[in-house]
Amino acid sequence: MNTPADDGNNNLRYAEYVLGVLDADTRAAVAHEVETIDEAAVAVALWQKRLMPLAETIEDVKPAAYVWARIHDALQFDAPVRSAPRKGLWDNLALWHWLGMGASAVAVALLVVMALPRQTTTPTPTVISAGYMAATIQQDNGSTGWTATMDLQNARMVVVPATPVAFAQGREPELWLIPAGGKPISVGMIALDKATTIALDPATLAKLGPTAALAVSVEPIGGSPTGQPTGAVIGKGAIGAAADSRTKVASATVARTDRMSV
Amino acid sequence: MSVSTPAERDELNQLLVQSGRGDQKAFAELYKRTSSKLFGVCLRMLRDRGEAEEVLQETYTTVWRRAASFDPGKASAITWLVTLSRNKAIDRLRQHREELLDDPLKLEEAPDDQPSPAADAESSQEYRRLELCLDELEPQQQNSVREAFFTGATYNELATRCKVPLGTMKSWIRRSLMQLRTCLDQ
Repeated sequence: MNTPADDGNNNLRYAEYVLGVLDADTRAAVAHEVETIDEAAVAVALWQKRLMPLAETIEDVKPAAYVWARIHDALQFDAPVRSAPRKGLWDNLALWHWLGMGASAVAVALLVVMALPRQTTTPTPTVISAGYMAATIQQDNGSTGWTATMDLQNARMVVVPATPVAFAQGREPELWLIPAGGKPISVGMIALDKATTIALDPATLAKLGPTAALAVSVEPIGGSPTGQPTGAVIGKGAIGAAADSRTKVASATVARTDRMSV
Repeated sequence: MSVSTPAERDELNQLLVQSGRGDQKAFAELYKRTSSKLFGVCLRMLRDRGEAEEVLQETYTTVWRRAASFDPGKASAITWLVTLSRNKAIDRLRQHREELLDDPLKLEEAPDDQPSPAADAESSQEYRRLELCLDELEPQQQNSVREAFFTGATYNELATRCKVPLGTMKSWIRRSLMQLRTCLDQ
């Protein structure tokens, strides 16, 4: 396998690079060689093949579900990949906004799941999956502030403003999850004028359920400094299952959302 | 997740090739099968869950973007993936090198990386060969190579941890690497 050119100091540097013992500058220099010189790339590949099997002894550790949600969002994938029928709509802000404007939480979730077989030529009624929860956040003035839909499988929540009350300069809405009989848990800052997607960590995810509620409080920019609400609570909503598991919706609804989802 | 049999390796290769063609479903499956291994690698090096999660995210977004350049004729997918995650983790370590130089972790306190008998039974042929060659090295040198691989430490850091002069550490590792190559390429 070895050629004379393979030997000597250069080869040693490539081995050191693969093992990972070089300092930042030398590392960068070798990385540049790998990109630009074929021989370097070949030598490094050989060392990788020799040494990487050591990684087999490292214990596997399952990453939290929200890491995949973040990757998925960062790459702007058009749908939660592992559930084939859902395509495109999750990231369609216009649709979210439209849903948030007038629809009840149940209707929102229903539409989301319903509208998804976009690629089928004939819209067919679809069975609702149980992987969603939703909440409508009602304000004291009686109007809906936001609609929140939680995608449990992909560990994330979309919060869409409907008609939120005005906020003073230097104040922002913060969303809280309130477990039954528990203290509020910060879910994150939400926007007044556009949909906010929030990755849910496992601890938050575990507390979502029909006994929990969402609330929005008025906080300084960046969020409550104490970890608990410090300003007025301006809206609340119970969390419900997004839809009955066997509900069917007329195809007219599908047609309508299809038009919205370009 | 196991990636030690040739059939499993082929499947991963296939998934990575499909990812390179823009197949999101294949990419999701690839993540499902390999993320625990790569997260273990990142966590072992960075020793901080939040940082390891960030590096894992960076790794897979890079995987998606570079998958088209993967050539199964040159490397197996798992080698390619582990390499990528290690490179990202090492880059991250070098970014805060100063903080970590004071790290009190010593060689003798490091977790035992000797494979358990169970791990041995599940391990690949390549790994077993490497292990045989590592066993031929002097114990100190063998430990230095393992420590270097698992923690991503620089020569300087390794020398400090093992309380030997920098020159000694360099010659231990360099000699080990050359011996390993001779042994593995036989």
